[in-house]
Amino acid sequence: MAITNPSVATLAVPLHVLQARRIRRFYIMLTVFFVVVQLVWIGTPILMAVLWSLVNPDYPWSFPNLFPTHLAPAPWIYVFKYTNIIRALKTSYSVAPFAVALSFLFSLPTAYVLGRKNIPGKKIFNLIVLLPIIMPGMVVALFLSRVFTALHLSQTFFGLVLAHTLMGLPYMIRVLTTSFQTIPQDVIDAAENLGAGTFVKIRDVFLPMVRPGLLAGMIFAFTTSIEEFNLTFVIGTPTFETIPTILYSFMGYNFIRTNAAVVALVMMTPNIIMLFIVERFLKSDYLSASLGKM
Amino acid sequence: MSNLRIVNLTKRFDDVVAVDKINLDVAEAEFVTLLGPSGCGKTTTLRTVAGFYQSDEGEIWFGDRLMNNVPPNKRLASMCFQSYALFPHMNVLENISFGLRMRKVPLAEQKKRISEVVSMVDLEGLEKRKPGQLSGGQQQRVALARAIVTQPDILLFDEPLSNLDAKLRVQVRVEIREMQKRLGITTIYVTHDQDEALAISDRIVVMNQGCIEQIGDPHSIYLHPQTSFVAGFIGLANIFEGRVVSKDNNRLVVDAPFGRISILDEDSLAATGGIIRFSWRPEDMVVSSPDAPNAIQATILHSIFMGRATDLFIDAAGQRMRAVTGNATKYEDGSAIVLGIDEKSIRILRQ
Amino acid sequence: MKDDSITPIHYVMLLPGVGFIILFLGSSIFLTVAQSFGLFSITGHSRFTLDNWKVIAAQESLDSVFFSLKMGILSSIGTVLFTFPVALFLRKGGAGKGFLGSLIKIPLFIPALVAAFLIVNLISYHGIVNELLMKLGLLKEPLRMLNDKFGWGVIVIQIWKNLPFVLLILMASLASVRDDTVDAARNLGAGTWQVLFKIYIPLTMPGILVSMILMFIKAFGDFPITSIAGPPYPSSIAFRMHATATLYQEWDQAAVLGVIIIGSALFVIWAYSRLADLVKGGE
Repeated sequence: MAITNPSVATLAVPLHVLQARRIRRFYIMLTVFFVVVQLVWIGTPILMAVLWSLVNPDYPWSFPNLFPTHLAPAPWIYVFKYTNIIRALKTSYSVAPFAVALSFLFSLPTAYVLGRKNIPGKKIFNLIVLLPIIMPGMVVALFLSRVFTALHLSQTFFGLVLAHTLMGLPYMIRVLTTSFQTIPQDVIDAAENLGAGTFVKIRDVFLPMVRPGLLAGMIFAFTTSIEEFNLTFVIGTPTFETIPTILYSFMGYNFIRTNAAVVALVMMTPNIIMLFIVERFLKSDYLSASLGKM
Repeated sequence: MSNLRIVNLTKRFDDVVAVDKINLDVAEAEFVTLLGPSGCGKTTTLRTVAGFYQSDEGEIWFGDRLMNNVPPNKRLASMCFQSYALFPHMNVLENISFGLRMRKVPLAEQKKRISEVVSMVDLEGLEKRKPGQLSGGQQQRVALARAIVTQPDILLFDEPLSNLDAKLRVQVRVEIREMQKRLGITTIYVTHDQDEALAISDRIVVMNQGCIEQIGDPHSIYLHPQTSFVAGFIGLANIFEGRVVSKDNNRLVVDAPFGRISILDEDSLAATGGIIRFSWRPEDMVVSSPDAPNAIQATILHSIFMGRATDLFIDAAGQRMRAVTGNATKYEDGSAIVLGIDEKSIRILRQ
Repeated sequence: MKDDSITPIHYVMLLPGVGFIILFLGSSIFLTVAQSFGLFSITGHSRFTLDNWKVIAAQESLDSVFFSLKMGILSSIGTVLFTFPVALFLRKGGAGKGFLGSLIKIPLFIPALVAAFLIVNLISYHGIVNELLMKLGLLKEPLRMLNDKFGWGVIVIQIWKNLPFVLLILMASLASVRDDTVDAARNLGAGTWQVLFKIYIPLTMPGILVSMILMFIKAFGDFPITSIAGPPYPSSIAFRMHATATLYQEWDQAAVLGVIIIGSALFVIWAYSRLADLVKGGE
């Protein structure tokens, strides 16, 4: 056992140890740097929106002030009282659940086949599933609206739900396919061996084992529906307004920054809450894996 | 080519000491194996030599150059990985030439070395294939070729054969050793397989929980284990403790749990009255008679006929032992047997 | 043994998911192509004609196409360039990296339009960025970053919004690069840049490719962001298509523009794949 004499020890710290410490410190500083940059990159836009939503109309915030001089909840009151935001909120949050439910129901059998069976043409089917994401949105929206008009689905709630389902299906199918793929055949065989019929297999083996993927898919489909603009704009307006379309209208000719800020925050907050739910309760590797598998 | 000196190497991961003040000198062109169970620190030591880990204390010398601050890509210590770690997107030729390209070896020289190495490891005809199109054995040879073509100062092996089937393992380990002898590169080889270590090493370093238990050539390690760990880890061993009753020159008489036994203490490790720990190999026991020296009366618990030998699990005065006899006698469970052990074949252990 | 038998039932099971998509997406695309050639026209006078295609020759159309192409290419390359280093950095875990990861993912959950507004706010003529730079004395006059002729505002928004999405894809791709492989490269003498170009990039090409394709199509075919933050002229090709249909009621001509957008998307997918093969094959 070496006897360490403190003063001698500090003098005798070898160069390579000092250099190793320096490298470690560098990495820590780099991480801190990235975090600070990110905080500014993400935080500043959000902060600005919050500030703008609280500008007192009697004290307009403009150059040369770096910050608004007076804060007031006035814009929030105005937007909620005098605009259609409540109607838009209602529409957004009632279309979404239906779209998610439909996506789920339609995806389940398809994902089962794509995930567990070697059906000929699987590659093509997998590509078709991704098409709604790949195809440019406004083109699909514009001409789908013609199809809907012919089917008397234009300007209807049901039409909106169908359109949002179309956009949610790719995510739901991909995530559920991956989930189905990972169920070990042994587990299914064991269930059959112990007497499980089809219904029991679905209820007690398949559904529970795809639950984590299901949750991820539902969140994707839900946020996709809430954010969906192109289809809603063409098929729903003017009968239906959702949060994205109302925000768009606030950014057009009558660009009142304060109103737009309020709507933006209203639109953003539930999503951020959902982000924390996802990060906390889902493995985010799962998210990236399912996205990566695209 | 250079020799390797590891001085007082210590490496910690959080509060676990993976490698604890290791000292090892490897001579030029020597083949040294680090042997031990998982977690003993052998792989950590190897990776520190390669430069993937920074030592917390201690030094690594390649010849007369201190390597502690040299990054892994500047050390000439080519490594053969357990998983082969071939570049999946490059073919065999590109994999093998990678190290030469990185070190900017002139093209003519590259060509020469590559064709030599390809014939040495018998990969002719496979140059354009990608790793995914090769068998496990072929992949292993590419990994080997890739390492030796760079003519490194030190050659490192991280359990290179564990992913091969048993028959191939025995064949390839001999090929690796012969190649190393021919090229004369200083080599460190990590394995947990003691047969492998005994078969091909110049010296074996037995490691346990971050420390070196014993260093020696295969004969010494097997025939003269110095600690109970080494005795138990290499081959089979019957390990017991007993008090030294008398000592006459170097002959000890020891009171063991199964009876009296005499041990030849050539290195004078024990004194009368002291407690010693000792061991012997099952295969050193022979069928004996009750009046022979070091006769042990025992009951056969279980016998396993293995063809060229019989493995006997016996009980002597309540102590479990194992013996391996070379004859083809059929033994009955529960029958009595007398076995003897030569006093020269018993090893005194240090701890 | 897996029961791999395929029965007609399985095809029926594909119907709800795949069938739904084929039905609605297919009919939309079919209509786009058909109307561009004058069939199924809403005017009622359907006949096969190439007249509608003359609309491409119009200067405005060409300007829109080139502008959108520019947006698509710059957005896709820009985002990947920004994101790849971050993905590499986050590859190894560590203190603070978990928090950093969550922080970076926030724009993923911010809808595109909201993102547009947030950034518009920041970079507008009297926005905080200009104010700050002027207060610090770095600028005499505010920079026109919004609604500017080149389209920088749009590009910034696209990068801000899509960075986490691309990050997830790249991180998944990077995860498939085994540590052993990187160690082997360094062991054989590869320095940091060489490891990047000879190991990381070739092996993550699929992920890079997918990101660039998706980003290009999003940015090229974008409607709302470009109309909010883009220059007054030219408009994005999607905007032009929409206006041609709904404002001028020239659906057939709009269909032509639609076909161009879809065609470009398909072309880009093909082109980027060729590029990826080139990079991979060049090893």
